[in-house]
Amino acid sequence: MFRIALKGILGRKARLILTSLAVILGTSFLAGTSVFSDTLNRTFDNLFSDVFKNVDAYVRSTQVIEADFGQEERQRISADLVSIVESVPGVRDASPDIQAFARIIGKDGKPIGSGGQGPPTFGSVGEEFAGALWSTAQGRWPVGSTEVVIDEASAKAGKYILGDSVKVVAQSGSREFTLVGIASYGDVRSPGGATFALFDSVTAAEFLTQPGFIDAILVSGDGSVSDAKLTQAIQDALPTTGKTETLTGAEITLETQDQIGSALDFFGILLKTFSFIALGVGCFVIYNVFSISAAQRQRENALLRAIGASRKQITRAMLIESIVVGLIGSIVGVVAGIGLSVSLTALLRALNIDLPSSGLVVSQNTVTSTIVIGLIVTVLSAILPARRAGKVPPLAAMRATALEIAEPGRKRLITGLLSIALGVAIIGAVVAGASNNYLGIGILFVFIGTIVLGPIIARPVALFLGRPAARFRGVTGTMARQNSARNPKRTSRTASPVLIGVALVTAVTALAASIKGQIDDVFTAQFKGDYAISTDARGFGGLSPSLAVDLNKLPQVEKATGFGFLTVKVDGRGQYVTTINPKTIEGLWDIGLINATYADLKTSDMFVSEKVAKRRNIAIGSVLQTTFGDGSTRPLTVAGIYVNNEIGDYIANSKLVDGTSIIMFDIGVYIKTKDSADNAEAFAALDAAVTKYGQGELLTKQEYINKQSGQVNQLLGLIYGLLMLSVIISIVGIIITLLLSVFERQRELGLLRAVGMTRSQVRTTVRWESVITSLLGAVLGIILGIGLGWIIVFALKDQGLTSFKLPVGPTIIIMIMSFIVGLFAAIYPAWRATRVNILDALNTN
Amino acid sequence: MTPQTTTIAASAISATKVYGSGNDAVYALRDVSVDFYEGQFTAIMGPSGSGKSTLMHCIAGLDELTSGSAIIDGTDLSTLKDKSLTELRREKIGFVFQSFNLVPTLTANENIRLPLMLGNNKGDEAWIQKVIDTVHLQDRLTHRPSELSGGQQQRVAVARALASQPRIIFADEPTGNLDSITGAEILTFMRKAVDDLGQTIVMVTHDPVAAAYADRIIFLADGHIVNEMTEPTADRVLDLMKSIGH
Ligand SMILES: Nc1ncnc2c1ncn2[C@@H]1O[C@H](COP(=O)(O)OP(=O)(O)OP(=O)(O)O)[C@@H](O)[C@H]1O
Ligand SMILES: [Mg+2]
Repeated sequence: MFRIALKGILGRKARLILTSLAVILGTSFLAGTSVFSDTLNRTFDNLFSDVFKNVDAYVRSTQVIEADFGQEERQRISADLVSIVESVPGVRDASPDIQAFARIIGKDGKPIGSGGQGPPTFGSVGEEFAGALWSTAQGRWPVGSTEVVIDEASAKAGKYILGDSVKVVAQSGSREFTLVGIASYGDVRSPGGATFALFDSVTAAEFLTQPGFIDAILVSGDGSVSDAKLTQAIQDALPTTGKTETLTGAEITLETQDQIGSALDFFGILLKTFSFIALGVGCFVIYNVFSISAAQRQRENALLRAIGASRKQITRAMLIESIVVGLIGSIVGVVAGIGLSVSLTALLRALNIDLPSSGLVVSQNTVTSTIVIGLIVTVLSAILPARRAGKVPPLAAMRATALEIAEPGRKRLITGLLSIALGVAIIGAVVAGASNNYLGIGILFVFIGTIVLGPIIARPVALFLGRPAARFRGVTGTMARQNSARNPKRTSRTASPVLIGVALVTAVTALAASIKGQIDDVFTAQFKGDYAISTDARGFGGLSPSLAVDLNKLPQVEKATGFGFLTVKVDGRGQYVTTINPKTIEGLWDIGLINATYADLKTSDMFVSEKVAKRRNIAIGSVLQTTFGDGSTRPLTVAGIYVNNEIGDYIANSKLVDGTSIIMFDIGVYIKTKDSADNAEAFAALDAAVTKYGQGELLTKQEYINKQSGQVNQLLGLIYGLLMLSVIISIVGIIITLLLSVFERQRELGLLRAVGMTRSQVRTTVRWESVITSLLGAVLGIILGIGLGWIIVFALKDQGLTSFKLPVGPTIIIMIMSFIVGLFAAIYPAWRATRVNILDALNTN
Repeated sequence: MTPQTTTIAASAISATKVYGSGNDAVYALRDVSVDFYEGQFTAIMGPSGSGKSTLMHCIAGLDELTSGSAIIDGTDLSTLKDKSLTELRREKIGFVFQSFNLVPTLTANENIRLPLMLGNNKGDEAWIQKVIDTVHLQDRLTHRPSELSGGQQQRVAVARALASQPRIIFADEPTGNLDSITGAEILTFMRKAVDDLGQTIVMVTHDPVAAAYADRIIFLADGHIVNEMTEPTADRVLDLMKSIGH
């Protein structure tokens, strides 16, 4: 039987190639994403082991606050400690380290680097240090408060040469420096596409962060003692009141790698999730191809049965074929996946994210797991078709089967309906109050049910969708319509991957539309001003608080208020606190205070959102122990509860940290202009004020609101990109099925050509069949996707998402795209169909 | 040997068809010249492999001659590109094959009108009705091929060939798969189409009884025309076949 199976495989190379193609695609995405994230991991590992390569010890503050998303805020240490460290025996050199926000402004007045969403823009220390990775490619290190060195990539981008005056924006404002050097980082011009402005340590502290303070001390030993001994000696030499800790070079490297690793892990998991979805979609294609080839081989199998092969032998022959296909497909898939990750890396480079190359990481694990998974998936997908092939009655050999007879069974109807009913019941229970955790199971049942019902729905829906084609395209349309309905099982199996892809795209789109709609509604309702100034500085500083003060002095401005934020620990847990100015916020933002006014917020108080208040059992008058970045802890009294938590769950007075070493800055400034003020004039005045600080972007209310939704768009873009993997597989699925159908219908095509069907009519027929199939998947997918979107929005109501918005426009676009996908998928199969040799076709039996 | 009419519907002039080349070359047709007259029912006979199907395919524009020419209604087929050739087949030629004559997804009615529909042509409705009546298919029109018997399927195929009123119909062993009674029905019907409707038919057959329905028989052997007979009867055909060693 093994020989027969092998002969069967080799005898039909086209079928082998087509079946393998589905496996190859599925596994290549799996291998590709895995290689890509491994490579990225290794790259960052190398990057950070490089950073600390010549660092033997690392001194920093013990005071740290960790908040969500792995963000942490560590206190600074006194710059005076550097000289203490330098005098410790065994220390060759010690260098102060500062990493802060700084943006280099190009000669055209525009900042270099993409800011906001791109790689970060840093300001740091550039001094001669034995352990430094930065080296001056041109010129020398900066000395004094007027000199700067920038990285090679920025110099190139800004066309700066030595001696130029360079404007740099930092948290304390903007300043002109003289360019005295251009630095390179190891073998790259700038690490990871970030921009760097380097100063001497005194200037860096004063300009970038806080005079007299630094982030850490990098120490290079003279090799006379071990790193551990050196570290201990340094820690012993430092004053015990300094709240410092000293780590070995290896420890800090590992810690940084771990931090980056967990950020990358999230990305890796995201990639993996979507490549598994793609593989799942690929299963349908594999299953479909095996089913079709089993059907096409029905007579051959029946003949084998008639001459004495057992059911088992027939089934086994097909399973052997699936093993061969799975193995070949997975191996090719691994190779293709490596190619894929190479192009992903190239894409990053094209996006100007210059990572030091560390070679592709193709782990043993990736290779074996991809091959094993590919093999298992292929064999599993082949089991049902193989068993069905075994059940072929020997009599079928005598019967001509032009049409695969596929009467959808009662069992199918009952199973499908039960599954959907069960799913809907579970979802209903969740809506009625059961835990959200069951939603996934409910959704899964609905999907399974729909797919089980597929063959039953396919015929009527395909006939319905095919109506316009039949009406406007005459006999070719009629035939396309009939062809798409002639084998409902095959059509629905082909449409299923499209269904899944479209359902996910629609759900994500609906979710995004709902979020955007909500952002629109909320900000329109809560933000009462006319303009906003936003900053892209993120965790690295922001707008100077004096900007809001300046703006309030403008004659056109009625009121301007700034929002800042602090990372603190509230009752021991890391939290973000939004700080406001109670005097100016009134009338600009409506946060829905209950039984309180802004004026109630003193520096010893806190407002808490209703959501958190409920969850944590907080009421007005409750006292929250709040630990600040400088290590101090103060009790804050809850002075108000508010409903609209869009700006954060905790709100405090911006004067809260006055007099401490904590530096406050604003992350947004909101402005209301006087009704009497001329719009253009007001804008010009505001713009001038903002420009003076060299930081922040002036936006109208609508622009500001759009920008908030823009972040959703960005995430949406990423998810669309990842879903593309599934979409590509569905397209290939349609192509494969159409091709197999074309092969199968050779005689019919020959006959049609003989009695006068032109090649272009043949193409039209195949094309419309493809479009109908694709639309079938799209229509069902959109229905499911909207349902799914609604459910997700419902599940997120605790997160503040309250209203579901139907994405009408995007849905229409998805329909149009599916139409185009249908046209596209048909190109090659249609061409093949026109190449059918009439006589050969008529003569084959 | 007087033809019923002198108008020529189709002809082959020095038709030669070679498959393969060099030592492996197979001469399916060697310098065959023949005319098919309008309104006549011609049968082509000959041993298996003698080139009957090849001759028919080449004259019907389904295959190309190696040399010589095939002419339909005054047009030399070798001058036509695929599109015009396809249109010519659609408009001027009707086909009946031995089996697999119908498109499985279309009803009998749609199959009958298929060539017309492909040309966006409504056709002559009265004529089509007459054809349908003649083949006794009135109550089978909405059925798909899988719901029809072999004989019924062949009748649909003949009706299709007639529906577009082509210049000439080619039938390759149209009764080869049928029992003798059903076969006789089809042949009678084809005979009627020639007598009553003035149709031109060329039919390939192995069966002397089937050939006897024709007005004229051409005998092929080894790629040559070896004999011809007009107003045949089954006995005369059998005798002739014996005499040429068939
Ligand atoms: N595609 C082809 N390639 C090679 N040789 C061919 C091809 N088609 C036909 N032949 C050869 O041409 C010759 C004539 O074939 P043809 O099919 O015309 O015979 P026929 O008279 O129709 O036979 P039958 O009665 O068996 O149908 C045969 O020797 C056949 O082997
Ligand atoms: Mg033949």
